[in-house]
Amino acid sequence: MAIRLQRLPSASPAVALAARAIAILLALVTAGLLLAASGAQPLKLAQQVLKSTFGSGFGLEDVGLLVTPLILTGLSVAVALRIGAWNIGAEGQFYAGAFAATGVALFIPGPSIVMLPLMFIAGALGGLIWILVPTLARAYADVSELITTLLLNFVATLLVYYVATGPWLDPGGHALATTARLKHDMPEFIGIVHWGFPMAILLAVITAATFSFTRWGYEVRIAGSNPQAAKYAGMPFRRHLIVVMLLSGAIAGIAGMLEVAGTVHRLQGGISNNFGYLGIMVAVLARGSCIGVIAGAALMAVILNSGIILQTQGVNTSTVLAITGLILFFTAVGDELAHFRIVSSKPAEA
Amino acid sequence: MAMPDVTERPRPAPGTPPLVQLRGIAKYFPGVVANQDVDLEVRPGEIHALLGENGAGKSTLMNILTGIYQPDAGEIIIDGYLKSFASPVEAIAAGIGMVHQHFKLVRAFTVAENIHLGWSETPRRISAQELEARTAQLSASLNLAVRPDARVDELSTGEQQRVEILRVLARNARVLILDEPTAVLTPSEARELFKALKEFVARGNAVIFISHKLDEVLEISDRITVLRGGRKVATEPTSACNEKMLAKLMVGHEIVLDDLRARGPNAIAKSNEPVVSLREVTARDSTGHTVLNKVSLEIAGGEILGIAGVAGNGQKELSELLTGMRAASSGQIMLGGRDVSAASAGDFVDFGVGHIPEDRLRSGLAPALSVTDNAVIREYDRAPVSLGPWYRPRAAAALARRIAEAAAVMVPNYSMPIRNLSGGNQQRFVARREMRIATKLLVAAYPSRGLDVGAINTMMRYFVELRDAGVGIVVISEELEELLNLSDRIAVMFHGEIMGIVDSAGADIEQIGLMMGGQRAATPVRAAAMVH
Ligand SMILES: Nc1ncnc2c1ncn2[C@@H]1O[C@H](COP(=O)(O)OP(=O)(O)OP(=O)(O)O)[C@@H](O)[C@H]1O
Ligand SMILES: [Mg+2]
Repeated sequence: MAIRLQRLPSASPAVALAARAIAILLALVTAGLLLAASGAQPLKLAQQVLKSTFGSGFGLEDVGLLVTPLILTGLSVAVALRIGAWNIGAEGQFYAGAFAATGVALFIPGPSIVMLPLMFIAGALGGLIWILVPTLARAYADVSELITTLLLNFVATLLVYYVATGPWLDPGGHALATTARLKHDMPEFIGIVHWGFPMAILLAVITAATFSFTRWGYEVRIAGSNPQAAKYAGMPFRRHLIVVMLLSGAIAGIAGMLEVAGTVHRLQGGISNNFGYLGIMVAVLARGSCIGVIAGAALMAVILNSGIILQTQGVNTSTVLAITGLILFFTAVGDELAHFRIVSSKPAEA
Repeated sequence: MAMPDVTERPRPAPGTPPLVQLRGIAKYFPGVVANQDVDLEVRPGEIHALLGENGAGKSTLMNILTGIYQPDAGEIIIDGYLKSFASPVEAIAAGIGMVHQHFKLVRAFTVAENIHLGWSETPRRISAQELEARTAQLSASLNLAVRPDARVDELSTGEQQRVEILRVLARNARVLILDEPTAVLTPSEARELFKALKEFVARGNAVIFISHKLDEVLEISDRITVLRGGRKVATEPTSACNEKMLAKLMVGHEIVLDDLRARGPNAIAKSNEPVVSLREVTARDSTGHTVLNKVSLEIAGGEILGIAGVAGNGQKELSELLTGMRAASSGQIMLGGRDVSAASAGDFVDFGVGHIPEDRLRSGLAPALSVTDNAVIREYDRAPVSLGPWYRPRAAAALARRIAEAAAVMVPNYSMPIRNLSGGNQQRFVARREMRIATKLLVAAYPSRGLDVGAINTMMRYFVELRDAGVGIVVISEELEELLNLSDRIAVMFHGEIMGIVDSAGADIEQIGLMMGGQRAATPVRAAAMVH
């Protein structure tokens, strides 16, 4: 009787879920041991985190604020993956969306009921324009979108720094490096969580449904999986590539708009909080599933929020970052291990 | 079909243990018994053929022997020692190497780089020249001609296969497993391969050879093992076998070959108007080379036109042209009286043109997607699979089930990736899917590649049914015998041109052979074809 490991091509959902739970638990235990080794009291800290996050409505609201942009940037990356493209530039599109929405809010007068939809459109367009060049370069010259989208992130970051500290600097002079407070706020949904939260969830659901239940979604599925087969079936691969990538950019742009209009209310450097890059991790955690992005974003938001709480408890930022990394690393390992099962192979009866 | 000359082979000394012994191997996939109770013994110096219907479990068994899959029961004994392989790397270290039906070379690398990739004996730091010199040396010592500095994507299929074999033999394999190696080879490439295999086993090594071509199995093998439904049904010396009994062993009953050219009583006669006509069509590849030169052809409804020729003489391009996947650079394509020279593949589908492509995995399927997704690729844009812009997964699954049933393919789970089906079953599935939409024209490139005898026979019968229903059919094949049996006329291609078109009835095989080598048909035949 020999015991062996066998790798299955696809893991069963129950096993995958269990593997994730175990992975997160192990990551936390490891982090706890590390914290204990550095003289902190991990159990007390954990208790503090749990109490601050789930013990009161406020904690959950904080998570709700973080989850909104994460759903959208995660969705942005997941959507591009559908056609086989890696959008590393959700970060830049986020900035571009925030920038465009702020511009509209600052320079066009009007009541909020008109301005918020306008800002929303501007945000989407900003993100879309930011991914336009990488999209066309990929579609017509086969230039890898990986590098072009990434490079544009730096451009967008610098652009926002520049306007927030220069031309658009708050004339009232209350703040040093931000624009004036915008006059139009996303209305609140629950507590401090604005309507962007249900909108993000709705967008994820609509996108998922579009991929599953429309002809267009089917074509994108085929084209993303095997462009040759799309050609064979007479599907316009290039058109789908362009539309899907632009959609991906627009979604990240919307995330940026909601962040200024709902949470920060000003445009400032660093407004993205790395949400664009974290979106890549959210999409990977969700294995590219548009609905899964909601769960992935929730997990990521809890991790981020716990990090903030730990910082207030005197744990330094790099430790927090290390714990975040540990959790992601363990989940990735858990995902892979979920593909294996143990088999015992009996020798043949001779 | 020459019988093998068994007497000449070195016989292993009595008492030599078999190189490979499989005992009681079983492998289960969800809903499928791929192997059960399989025993196999491979002796030094022999070419051992493995036969069986599509889905009989041949590839699975070999994947177990090479460590890609782990058996659910049974033992692997190599040279008398019990072994277990966790990966192909361990199998090759024990002297067992496999060349898969779908090659696994890195296309952007040179031959030398591919040979040395992932090999423990490759020096850490080495220049391209040295790599190529080492490869040339290996190639000479193993008597397998390759071009070390060529990039893999410029090689013909036969050359790529030689690189794969060299890659395995360079790692000192003593057992070489070939999964349907000749399905993609020209007859002369196949002969070269056989020569190399005989030399290889003459050195005391062994070959396990999977094929659906009974004639070549009888020609080259020493012993034959037949699998049916995952179980071994027989192992016989080749000298005691013939095609008929092998076919019977594989399917469990005799196969009656039909007379295919005869038309049934209710058959629609060949139409006077062609469904498709090409007028002086020229096509170029991306580098500007002429791949089709002034091809003129007419295919009538209710006729089967065979395209003969050595692979790589423009057949693939012709099939792409006839299905809208490739644009002509000059000339005119008419489909049922409409000029479609500028139409897309989608337009051709709407017009009722089905296409069984040459490379099914690469262009006819999305291997990573589900059976259902792949089933509806031709009909997703019409009812019942879609209503307006909406796609209906349940209707799609129902269509997938219908196609699988018609193709006689057992699918345990329609949401599993289609690449989990056996090679031949993927093919049957594509063929059936295409026949559904081929109401005017069916273009079938090498339709019998990878199919078992029974399945070939069934497929030919389907073609005949379509023909009798008035559909025009173009069959591209290298098997002249198959074309002569099936088609009404045969066009012969050479260097992107049509050398001539002959009637199959009373065709002169020798003349077709000459045309395949580049000689034009005698004037009367050609004139008849052009006037048509
Ligand atoms: N990874 C897998 N998951 C599920 N089923 C599988 C998998 N691999 C093979 N099978 C099933 O196991 C059976 C045997 O397949 P296998 O590929 O060994 O057949 P084969 O004899 O090589 O056939 P062919 O001549 O068509 O290549 C088939 O029914 C196939 O669908
Ligand atoms: Mg096979």
